[in-house]
Amino acid sequence: MEFRLRKGKTINLGPSPGDAPVIARTVRTVGLMTQDYPGVIFDLRVSEGDRVRRGQLLCVDRNRPEIAFVANVSGRVRKIRQGARRRITTIVVDVEGDEGLGFDVDAATQNEGALRHLLMKSGAWLGFRTRPFGRIPDPADRPSAIFITATDSNPLAPDPAFVLRPLLDSFRRGAQALSRLTDGPVFVCQSPGASLAEPSETLRVVRFSGPHPSGVPGTHIHHLWPVSDQRTVWQIGYQDVAAIGILLASGQVATARTVSVAGPGVKRSTLVRAPLGVELTDLLQEAQTDETICAQQLVSGFSLIGREARFLSRYDLQVTVLEGSAERKHTRTALWRVFDKLPFVASGVTQPSEAFERLFPFDLLPVPLLRALAVGDIESVARLGGLELLEEDLALLTWRCPSGIDYGQLLREILDTLHQEKAA
Amino acid sequence: MTPPPLLARHWDDNRLTLVTLTASLAPFVATIVTGGPAQLPPLALAVCIALLWHLAFALPRKRLPGWDGIVTAVIFTVMVPAAVPLWQQGLALSFGLVMGNLIFGGRGRGFLSPAAVSLAFLLFSFPVNAGPATGTAAALAALLGGALMLIAGILSWRLVIGFFVAMAACAFKWPVPMIWPEWPSATLIVGLIFLIGDPVAAACTNAGRWFYGLLAGGLFVLLAYAGGDILSSVVFSGLLAAIFAPLIDQGVIWANIRRRARRVRHD
Repeated sequence: MEFRLRKGKTINLGPSPGDAPVIARTVRTVGLMTQDYPGVIFDLRVSEGDRVRRGQLLCVDRNRPEIAFVANVSGRVRKIRQGARRRITTIVVDVEGDEGLGFDVDAATQNEGALRHLLMKSGAWLGFRTRPFGRIPDPADRPSAIFITATDSNPLAPDPAFVLRPLLDSFRRGAQALSRLTDGPVFVCQSPGASLAEPSETLRVVRFSGPHPSGVPGTHIHHLWPVSDQRTVWQIGYQDVAAIGILLASGQVATARTVSVAGPGVKRSTLVRAPLGVELTDLLQEAQTDETICAQQLVSGFSLIGREARFLSRYDLQVTVLEGSAERKHTRTALWRVFDKLPFVASGVTQPSEAFERLFPFDLLPVPLLRALAVGDIESVARLGGLELLEEDLALLTWRCPSGIDYGQLLREILDTLHQEKAA
Repeated sequence: MTPPPLLARHWDDNRLTLVTLTASLAPFVATIVTGGPAQLPPLALAVCIALLWHLAFALPRKRLPGWDGIVTAVIFTVMVPAAVPLWQQGLALSFGLVMGNLIFGGRGRGFLSPAAVSLAFLLFSFPVNAGPATGTAAALAALLGGALMLIAGILSWRLVIGFFVAMAACAFKWPVPMIWPEWPSATLIVGLIFLIGDPVAAACTNAGRWFYGLLAGGLFVLLAYAGGDILSSVVFSGLLAAIFAPLIDQGVIWANIRRRARRVRHD
């Protein structure tokens, strides 16, 4: 099956890394951040100063203690940061040595319960996110389908086909294992080209092409298997699937990811192999002076959806390096600069425009949806298809809308409310 | 408010206003160039009134005024017949700004084009002689402005095509009396772009824009057939169509929800 989408826009931010050689950088620090997991409260299982091995339990979700958060490197827990209401926000681990914890995988290759247990215990479960709501699935949850996103249309993202070339066996093993977690199909969504997985009864390969967002899970799910409050699917990234394949073969947790480091702030785009949660400055070239670091802005993820952060977010496979805000001001044309001096009032009102439809490859109505989001009309958002979306799917609309409203943030709040209502 | 976006936006409210203002000034400038500066005092008055009303609504709320009142003032001045006394113009524009826009809380919150409300007030309240239409130069400049609006994505091409299709179709049924001067005149083009095509007043879904354009085109011919001149036909067809726009959108929304529900059931 093939989908050729025409709507959307790939914003040009410079050259993407393409098939540049993958570089390994010395990583000193990694972090685990709660903000990557909406709805999760960390319950600590280590304390500051403890030595941990790769794969060792750091904390669990307070409400679902089966779901484990493990160390992505071997090292020492340096800092446990707390935020509002003394909740853990970040666990910082300094890298020391390279010892991995082994997991027993024999049972998991046979029965489904053991496979679930292994995935949860090894932290691989965190690769899944549910749709609707974009949360880590419950331990007993059975999705109606699983979506493997093996394409990435985010500007500057690594090319999945290139990254998977050395990992193809692991990827296929992982994809096979996933089909045991659902009664429905497992979709492998990829760009046009050679099949990344062997199509079968349960495993369906679908090709997507077109401008961004043709290569993000929201678009795929909408076109193949639309979700509702009655029907849940899981989505998982291609590198997480390959990591499950490695885990099943070796019993070792695979935390390394191939990440692209690109953007207007770096001279050359690179692909870097680094553990999950790596500190972003560690990904840059070794020769860093304080001056160059100040002149750069490091964003985990594509710059429209990513956030300025210290560590790589769990689901991000790219780091966008922007020029520091001081430098950017001079690049504007003189006319805009004069005009931007005018007192600016962000009206905070969605101004309808055909341009929204051109950026939105969904069979949803963008302007009514954005208006419902802007006024916080939860019921209308749900009726207009808000449950099919996550924050990232609204990024282009947020960027295009003159009002300055962050629709992704509003959608997150509404999804959280709806999730609470459903749980109650 | 959220932190500033990491990637600079191309569009903000000021820029949107600037593009619309440029497009609406085009026919005005053409009129000045060909016909002399007689239109300048009305424009100055209209802009002052617009700024005053926006300030009057912004200051008690401790907010900055929006700039979109200037655009309304320009559109109003371009379309208003030159013979109308200034005090009538000022009164009509004030009514339109307040009742068509500001009492709703500003641009984008209302559902009518303030310029259309102003002109409708004027046409209702005072005997207006439309007088000679503006020249070809203004019509061409208005077309250029319309092209700019189309490229910027502010004006919907679906709406424009729908309008002309309905106009052509209805003109067969109701032959329009030949009282119109040069055709299409600047009044019609400006009215289509800025009154009927105002994105706030128009339908806001793609399917809805077709229906809205068709409705406006049909109403325009019907009103002209019933004896209206170009100005009143375009103003009232825009106003009536805008009143129906939310209903059209609601129909499109229902159809969309039904279609998607059926898809989920059948998979």
